[in-house]
Amino acid sequence: MRPDYDKSPRPIGGELVIPIVAVAFTLYFFSSIWNSPWTAQVSGFLVGGILLLVCGIFFVRCISQLMSGRASLGFGTLFSIQDITSGRVGLLITTVGYCLLIDRLGFTLTTFLFLSLSMLILSHGKRPGLIIAISAAMSLGGWAVFIWAFETRFPSGWFETTMKAVLANG
Amino acid sequence: MGETGTILVEVFFQTISYWWVIIPTIFLGLIVGGVPGFSAANTIIILMPLTLAMDLETGLIFMVSLYCAARMGAGIPAILVNIPGTAGAAATPLDGYPMTKQGRGQQALAMTFVASSLGGLLTTVIALATMPVLARVGFYMHSVEMIVVMLFGISLIASIAAQDMVKGLIAGFLGLMIGSIGTDVVYATPRATFGFLELYDGIPLIPALVGLFAVSEAFVIIEKRLIITDDARKAMATPSWHATFEGASIALKRWWHIAWTSVIGLIIGVIPGAGASIASFVAYQQSRSFSKTPEAYGTGHPEGLIAPESANNGVTSGTLVPLLVLGIPGGATAAIMLVVMQFHGVSFGPSLFENNPKVGYGMFMAMAVSYLFMMFTILPLSRYMSRVTTVPTIYLAPMIISFTLVGAFVPREYMFDMYLALAFGVLGYVARRTGYHVAAILIGVILGPLLERYFLWSLKKSDGDIMVLFSSTLGNVLWVCLALSIVLPIWFETRRKRREIVIQ
Repeated sequence: MRPDYDKSPRPIGGELVIPIVAVAFTLYFFSSIWNSPWTAQVSGFLVGGILLLVCGIFFVRCISQLMSGRASLGFGTLFSIQDITSGRVGLLITTVGYCLLIDRLGFTLTTFLFLSLSMLILSHGKRPGLIIAISAAMSLGGWAVFIWAFETRFPSGWFETTMKAVLANG
Repeated sequence: MGETGTILVEVFFQTISYWWVIIPTIFLGLIVGGVPGFSAANTIIILMPLTLAMDLETGLIFMVSLYCAARMGAGIPAILVNIPGTAGAAATPLDGYPMTKQGRGQQALAMTFVASSLGGLLTTVIALATMPVLARVGFYMHSVEMIVVMLFGISLIASIAAQDMVKGLIAGFLGLMIGSIGTDVVYATPRATFGFLELYDGIPLIPALVGLFAVSEAFVIIEKRLIITDDARKAMATPSWHATFEGASIALKRWWHIAWTSVIGLIIGVIPGAGASIASFVAYQQSRSFSKTPEAYGTGHPEGLIAPESANNGVTSGTLVPLLVLGIPGGATAAIMLVVMQFHGVSFGPSLFENNPKVGYGMFMAMAVSYLFMMFTILPLSRYMSRVTTVPTIYLAPMIISFTLVGAFVPREYMFDMYLALAFGVLGYVARRTGYHVAAILIGVILGPLLERYFLWSLKKSDGDIMVLFSSTLGNVLWVCLALSIVLPIWFETRRKRREIVIQ
């Protein structure tokens, strides 16, 4: 006899996210090429048509599973309280902050701040000294290799400008 | 020994004497190849003033060594942390990363080093011997033939989708739709650009690669303390050279696999406009199609790792053929080499081997010598590189995010590309958590625009007649090969199952 927990409906809400995004994007794509020349339409309608068909098949499969009680609309492991406790949400916030701040603060400073904050969040505040040392080494190492040695055009800010002036003046 | 033989021997020993350029360049190439956004082409551009200041031979050896090493370097993060350094290594993590998670990262690295070096070396020798014939391949590959080559790669989506066909196809076709963003190639009509001018040129590959693989992976790995399993960690606690020798031995035993998949890379490499990403996907797909154990692909199968790595290194020698023989660069790096060599007064094309035979043969010899050196210098590093997987994820994940996101910025220097990489990261994370394959999305993003371009060119040339797809002899041969490569594995599998039933 199989245990009861095997019979609990499988949460498929999360699996619906990608097909819903795909359908929405395809419809937007169609709207953007509706009055365009055929050269702009042909592959969009061909690929988009197949994508809508496959998504349709997937939705039918999901509805059938929902109606037979084999599936539920829960999100399973896609969104859960663990996302907060593990620091994933915190990491996402710091990543968004990194993208927004790097243009103003420059690569080195933003990378240092991002690495320190993210590692502190993920480690729940443990070993701050080690984390700050690693963050400083990584961001300064990145600056030395990519900006100073290879002159790669990374986003620059106060630190990069100052170091450039210092190095230029010997 | 003929005149050419004498030149080759002379050039070989001359190239070896430049070991002091080759060895440091190999390590530089490994670094720039491993960080998304820092391709060999970008690095040669960045170091252009240095290259131009060098004498012709040194500059040439430097560029060729960097090119080969960067190609190999792109596979290292793909295996260890599921982040391909370039689009050419996008098929590498399919089997390389599962090996790492099983604690076989050291074997995987050794395998890839041997496969890449041998593949590169072999195709360099073949290219050297068959240059006049290979150079003509580009002339026979028109838009119709290229459509079939693209379909060879795209058919990999169906293989990836084997476990759940509907979800696999959704991922693949979503990738193809995303790849269609941007202006169409005939009238430059913008499509699905959300009003962003930055998307008019289409979806840039590096942000897509960074987001789908690196950012999403970083958000997933934080669930565990380490990337590798507990058993793997215990095994890695006592590192030894045994794993390196074992990996090298596994690759060497599959020498025939290395040979034929690297030749796929060589042939695709000589076609101007085609590249390592197409070659690696096609090689992986063909390797899987004709394997006796196709079900093992995607779970850490050695042949699934060897095929794309041999193929993308086969491309490196292939791209030099049209450059040297016809003066047509087969890729971005070859185009930059053309500029640098012209600065030194060397003109490429049919006259190169008459006027400057040492330069022509020297480039291939530099490639061959670089691969020889790589085999002995990089192989021992596999033991130490694989230790990356023992770094706790709380430190590794933020480092992956910061360095790859800024790598997304580098090619075009648009802040937009960082935001785009983040958006792809969210898409990749949702896909991973809900059972959609990010590799299928990426195949669509990479090959979709190329397929559309060749498809439109064909239709324009034929005034919209779809039958143009079956109008050339070579194209029809390729169509038959494509059909066979799809049908035969199914037939073999059915026959194998029938035999098993009969035996039981």
